[in-house]
Amino acid sequence: MTMIRRHNQSAICMHWFNALCWLFLLGSGFALLAGEMQPIGAWWSELWVGIFGEAGLLVAHIAIGSLWAGIYALYTPLFLRRDVLPFLREIFAVSLRCDLIWCIRKAFWLVMGASGMRKIGMQTQLPAQGFYNAGQKFVAIAAIICSISLVVTGLLLAFSVMQQGLEALVRWALLLHLCCAGLMAILLPVHIYMAACAPGERPALISMLTGFVPEDFAKHHNPLWHASLVEKAGEHNRH
Amino acid sequence: MPRYRMLIDSNKCYNCGACIVGCQQRNSVPYGYRRNWVRVDADPDYGFGKGFQPGGCMQCDAPLCVEACPTQATWKGDDGVVLIDVQRCIGCGACIAACPYDARYRHPERGTVDKCDYCASSRHLGIAPACVQLCPAQVRTFGDASDPSSEVAQIAAQQTLTYVESPQSPTKPSLAFVGATTVTNWPRAAALPSPIAAMRVVATGVRYLGALSLFGVIAMFFKQILIPSDDKSGAEIHTPASGKGEKP
Ligand code: HEM
Repeated sequence: MTMIRRHNQSAICMHWFNALCWLFLLGSGFALLAGEMQPIGAWWSELWVGIFGEAGLLVAHIAIGSLWAGIYALYTPLFLRRDVLPFLREIFAVSLRCDLIWCIRKAFWLVMGASGMRKIGMQTQLPAQGFYNAGQKFVAIAAIICSISLVVTGLLLAFSVMQQGLEALVRWALLLHLCCAGLMAILLPVHIYMAACAPGERPALISMLTGFVPEDFAKHHNPLWHASLVEKAGEHNRH
Repeated sequence: MPRYRMLIDSNKCYNCGACIVGCQQRNSVPYGYRRNWVRVDADPDYGFGKGFQPGGCMQCDAPLCVEACPTQATWKGDDGVVLIDVQRCIGCGACIAACPYDARYRHPERGTVDKCDYCASSRHLGIAPACVQLCPAQVRTFGDASDPSSEVAQIAAQQTLTYVESPQSPTKPSLAFVGATTVTNWPRAAALPSPIAAMRVVATGVRYLGALSLFGVIAMFFKQILIPSDDKSGAEIHTPASGKGEKP
């Protein structure tokens, strides 16, 4: 079985560092909110306050948030050409119609299988995908936009307390902070399921640990990416 | 657990301002700000044609300030006092807008919100709040209302009490006036800044959509174990790669 490289070591490390930070920040951030502004429930806040203490929870949230943003502030310029730009190029290679069809058909396939889809007169063919499939692209775009907004509004919330006259800005920043965290909280269960549990996705999950996927898998799941690799290899051999 | 309460006999007040200055001194309230006040209203029934009504945070039992705070920085304690945790306060000012009595202000140096806490810093020493201690006319009575032998409980049991409350935004104030007082309907309607109101809507959306997403994928996980979708790899239903820009 020929294996091909899918993720660099640096990108793998950053993915898992990012995932751990996100899960901690989402959990602790929701626990910091009060009453009807808290999406989970009072028990969630009590759980986190029980672990970190009233003041400790906010300190921990700000500390991990700053660490996460700080590491990305170093990683982004240092790995710009190697990881960041190729990643951005792939996730923004969106073809709205094809990608929406992919998402809808994939969802139907998961719910009712190909035979069920045929029964209701639906096409079962999925549009060919590049390095990332449509679902991954949408999650990744949301993650990038939400991450940037969360860092900006988070810094504002952490450092505006000393400034006079910023109350209105702080309130809007808090709303935006919640919107971005909330959107990702809705999307992440789907991302985690699709990456770790969905049928046929195991090689992609393993590639987030080892960096490699079987060529056969890439050929079927990411045919456009595979074709571009074949094309590049051909060009290389010609030179 | 004691249940602290303050009663004010405004008919005894002659607006000397000792309660305000004493409070500012004890609680290091910055110049130009105050935790308590004496309202002056034109009232022909009183001497000088003016009625005085001392006040401060009403330590409400249904505090709108607590409901408005997005960060759990303010709450009504079991001891009956509405408190602020300055370490949790981000100075957004939602509670200031929500208080019909304007009993809160944003501290100009700390940036966090400040209000009357019945002089919590000196209460453990057994010292009464500064406004009670320094009033030369004994206008204010403070104590544990859950102790029937306390002065405050006895006054509450024997005398008629008047509550000053916003007609539009009732908050069940625990601070009350002994007998009659000057104006009772001056508190304004509470305001909730629009981003804070929107946060409630967003949080509700996140709760239901998040649950839908989480339980949806859990259900899908079990569905795939019990009734796997045919063509497990998903490969068969992909269109073959025949170059770039392929249409479905
Ligand atoms: C802890 C559970 C998680 C697991 C098991 C997981 C797994 C994976 C896997 C296997 C991939 C690679 C997919 C591929 O190569 O085709 C991936 C990619 C990615 N993950 Fe995660 N992930 C997790 C959490 C997160 C979190 C919390 C975030 C935060 C936003 C995140 C953001 C991303 C992004 C942006 C990508 C690249 C694009 C994409 O595949 O969507 N992941 N993840």
